[in-house]
Amino acid sequence: MVFSSLPFLFFFLPAFLILYYLFPGRAKNFVLLVFSLIFYAWGEPVYILLMLLSSFVDYLDGILQEKYGTTLFRKRLFLSVALLINFSLLAYFKYADFAVGIWNRLTPWDATLPGVALPVGISFYTFQTVSYSIDVYKGRVKVEHNYLSYLTYVSMFPQLIAGPIVRFSTVQEELHQRTVCESGFVRGMKRFLLGLLRKVLIANQIGALWDTIRVADGISVATAWLGLLCFTLQLYYDFSAYSDMAIGLGWMLGFHFPENFIYPLSATSITDFWHRWHVSLSTWFRDYVYIPLGGNRVGTAKHLRNMFAVWFLTGLWHGASWNFVLWGLYHGILLTLEKYVWGKGLAKLPKFLQHLYAIVIVVFGFGIFTFDDMAEMGQYFPQLIGLPGNALIGQELRWYAGNYLPFLLAAILLAFPVYPWFQKKLAGANAYRRNLYTTCGALLLIALFMVAVASLVRDTYNPFLYFRF
Amino acid sequence: MEEQKNQATTEQAEKQITLTDRVVVYLICAMILCFGIAFFVTPKKDFSDNENRTLAKMPELTWENVKGGRFTDGIGTYAADHFPMRDSFLGIMTEAERRSGRKEINGVYIAKDGSLIEVYDAPVNTEKQIAQFTKLAQNVENAQCYLMLVPTAVSINAEQLPKTAPDELAQRREDVITIQAEKGAYRPTQKGIIRYIYAAMPEEMQNIDVATPLKQVSDRRLYYRTDHHWTTDGAYVGYLAFCEARGLTPIALEDYTAETVSEDFYGTIFSKLNDTYFVPDTIVSYTYPAWDLTVEYSDSKEVTDTPYNPEYLTQKDQYSYFLNNIHPMVTITNDAVADGAIAVVKDSYANCFVPYLLAHYHTVYVFDTRYYKGGPSKFINEHPEITDVLILYNMNTIDNDTGIGGIY
Repeated sequence: MVFSSLPFLFFFLPAFLILYYLFPGRAKNFVLLVFSLIFYAWGEPVYILLMLLSSFVDYLDGILQEKYGTTLFRKRLFLSVALLINFSLLAYFKYADFAVGIWNRLTPWDATLPGVALPVGISFYTFQTVSYSIDVYKGRVKVEHNYLSYLTYVSMFPQLIAGPIVRFSTVQEELHQRTVCESGFVRGMKRFLLGLLRKVLIANQIGALWDTIRVADGISVATAWLGLLCFTLQLYYDFSAYSDMAIGLGWMLGFHFPENFIYPLSATSITDFWHRWHVSLSTWFRDYVYIPLGGNRVGTAKHLRNMFAVWFLTGLWHGASWNFVLWGLYHGILLTLEKYVWGKGLAKLPKFLQHLYAIVIVVFGFGIFTFDDMAEMGQYFPQLIGLPGNALIGQELRWYAGNYLPFLLAAILLAFPVYPWFQKKLAGANAYRRNLYTTCGALLLIALFMVAVASLVRDTYNPFLYFRF
Repeated sequence: MEEQKNQATTEQAEKQITLTDRVVVYLICAMILCFGIAFFVTPKKDFSDNENRTLAKMPELTWENVKGGRFTDGIGTYAADHFPMRDSFLGIMTEAERRSGRKEINGVYIAKDGSLIEVYDAPVNTEKQIAQFTKLAQNVENAQCYLMLVPTAVSINAEQLPKTAPDELAQRREDVITIQAEKGAYRPTQKGIIRYIYAAMPEEMQNIDVATPLKQVSDRRLYYRTDHHWTTDGAYVGYLAFCEARGLTPIALEDYTAETVSEDFYGTIFSKLNDTYFVPDTIVSYTYPAWDLTVEYSDSKEVTDTPYNPEYLTQKDQYSYFLNNIHPMVTITNDAVADGAIAVVKDSYANCFVPYLLAHYHTVYVFDTRYYKGGPSKFINEHPEITDVLILYNMNTIDNDTGIGGIY
C-alpha cells in the first residue's frame, strides 16, 4: 500500500488510528504490528515472509550475542552469520538478475536469468535490521528480548517501504514507552497532510511533465535540461514527501523518526548536498561502512578506497543497474574533488554561483540516475548539449514550461527554506497580520487537500518510484 | 551535529501548533471520515452515464488474485471509480488545472475558441486496419468499395489548437514528413496516417479524400465543441465528397428541414473534464421531406420510421439521437426511392451521415462490426442488389476500435 492512495487515506488510516487510540498502552504496539503487516501484505502478500525471516534473524542474533557472546570469536561468528543471511537475501532478491547478466556478458557460459521480482522495501528494512545487529555487537544498543516489539520496529508501516531508515536505537525507548497525545496527533497529521500535498500536487504533476519530455521527439537543449530538472524535482518532492508523511505518522503514534531531507536542492556544494539528501541513508553508510573502514583518518590512498567503496555501494543500493553505480561513483568523485581540489576555492565564490554549481551537478547526476536503459540515456543525453543539431531553445519549450509554470515555480521556490523563513517573519508581525495569514493558510490547506483528493480520484498519474530501491 | 539539528527542528515543530492548525486538521479528518463512510453506504453504479463507460467491478477475492497483486490493485481502481462525488472531483481537478494555465488536461486540448479537442495518440494498429480494409475490398465480389477516413477536430481545426501544442507543431511541419519519419522521429498526424493507409489500399478500393473539403469550410462548426463526433454539417461535407466519388448529384442542404433538437449537449470529451466552465453544444437535425422510411434494428427487432431517436435528447448520451446508439446491423429502406442499395461499414461517425444517403438508395445496410459477427462481405455477396460499399471511420477512435477485426 502507498500513502498517497484512496484506500490508504480513506479506509486504512482512519481504521488504524481509531483502533490505535482506543487500545490502551501496551496493546497499541499490537495494533500497530497487525496493521503494519496488513499494509505490507497489501503490496507483497508472499514476500512478507521474507521480511519476517529477515527480522527474526537479527532478533535472534541479538539474543545469542547477549547469552552466548562470551568471546570475541563467538560474537563475530553470530554477527557474521546474521549479516550473511540478511545480505544473501538482499543479494538474491535484488541483484541476482543483475549479477547473472554480468556473468553472461563476461563468460562464454550462459546462465538463465532467475527472474526474481524485487520485494518492495527490502533495501530499507534490510538496512534497518542489519544496523541493529551491528549496534548490538558494538554494544551501542540494548538487546531486545520481545520479538513482537522488534518486529513492530522493522515492519512499522510509516517507514517500512520508503524510509527514513530508522535505527533501532532511535526508537527502542519509544517502542516500550512513548507519549501518545492529542497535540502529537495534530502536529503529525499536519505534517502528513503537507507531505501528501507535496507528493500529489507537486511530485505527480512535475513527474507527468517529465514523462512527456522524456519521450518527446526532437526537443531543444533547453527542454532537455528542463526535463532533467523536472525529474530532479519529482524525485525530491516524491521522496521527501514520503519522509514527511512517515515522520508525521510517527508523531501521531508517539514516535520520533530522524529528519531525512533538509532542503537538499538549496545546497551550495555536493558535500553540502549529501548532508541534506536522504540523510538516514548517507549516515548509515558513514557509520556502518565508511568509519569502520577508517574514514578519512587514514592515508590518502586508503581514503580514496573508502570513498570508492561507500559511493559504489550507495549507487548500487538504489537499484541493480549500472546507471545507479555510475551515479554513485559520479558523486563519490565530485566529493573527493571537493575535498582535495576545489572545495576551499568554491567556498570563496559568491553564494549564487555555489548554488548554481551544486544544482547543475545534482541535476545532471539525476539524469544518470533516471535512465536505467543505457540506450535511452544515449538518446537523451546528446540533446543536452545540442549534439543531434537540435535548437538551443525550441517552440516546444513554451508549451511544456507554460503548461506547468505555476507548479514549476512552486516546486523551485519550496525547495528552499521559504516556509521556515515565513514562519519566522510571521512571529514578528502584529496580531492582525498573523491571524490574517494563518487563516488564509488554513483555507488554502483545505482547498489544496480537496484538489489532492480530486487528483487521486482522477487516478491518472501516481507512480511509486522506489520499487527499485 | 545533525542529530542536534534534527532535535531542533522537531522541537520547533512542537511549538508551532496553533488553534488554526487544530481546526484545519480536525476539519480534514472529518472530511476523510465522511467520505470513507459515504463510500460504504452510497449505492454503487455499474455504468457512468457521465463518462460513458463501465465502472470497475470489485475484484474477486481469490488467492491467485491476491498473490498476483490484482486484488489490491483492483480495490484501488474500484475505490477511485466509485468514490463519492466522483464527477464533482473530476470537475475540481479540471478547474484547478485550467486556472493554473494548463492548455492540455487529461488528454484534452483547450482550443482557442473554447472547444475541447482530444490529443491524437500515435496509432499502433495502422497495419491491422490496412489488412482488414484490404480483406473486405477483395472479398466483396460485385460491388464497388469506397473508403472514407475522417480526420477529427485535432486535424481539421488545427489552427484552433493552443499554440506550440505537440499536435499543433506536428501539423505545421506536416509537409516534410514521410511515413518513415512518422513512425520514428516525429509525432504522426492524422493526415499523414490517412495518406499512408490510402497508399496501401488495393485497386479494388476507391479512396475518398474528405480532409480537403472539410478544411475549406470555415463558416460552420464541423465538430462539436465538447464531443468527439462531427456535426451534421460536418457529415454533410463528407456526404458531398462521397457523392463526388460515386458520381451522384448531391441534394442541397437547403432542401432539408433543419431543426435544432438540443442546446444542452455535453459530449464525451466534456466528460473527461466535467467542468461546466465549458459551454454545451447544439445539435441540428436534418430531415428530408420526401422520406418514406422503415428503419429496422436487427438485434432488438425494433422498427421505426425515422433514423432519429428524440428520447436520447433528455439523457446524457445525446449523440445516440442518430441511429439509436449501437446496433450490429440496421436496415433502412426508403420507399420514395425505387432501387439501389449500399452497405455502410462504420463507426459512430456514420450515424449522423447515413441519413444523407437515404435519398439516393432504396436500401441502406449499416454494419457495426464490433457486434456484427461473420463479416459484412458474406452478407454483401449474398445480396446482389448492393452496388456500393462505404467504409467510414474517424481517425481518432479507429486505432482502439475493436470492430476493425470484424471487417472482412
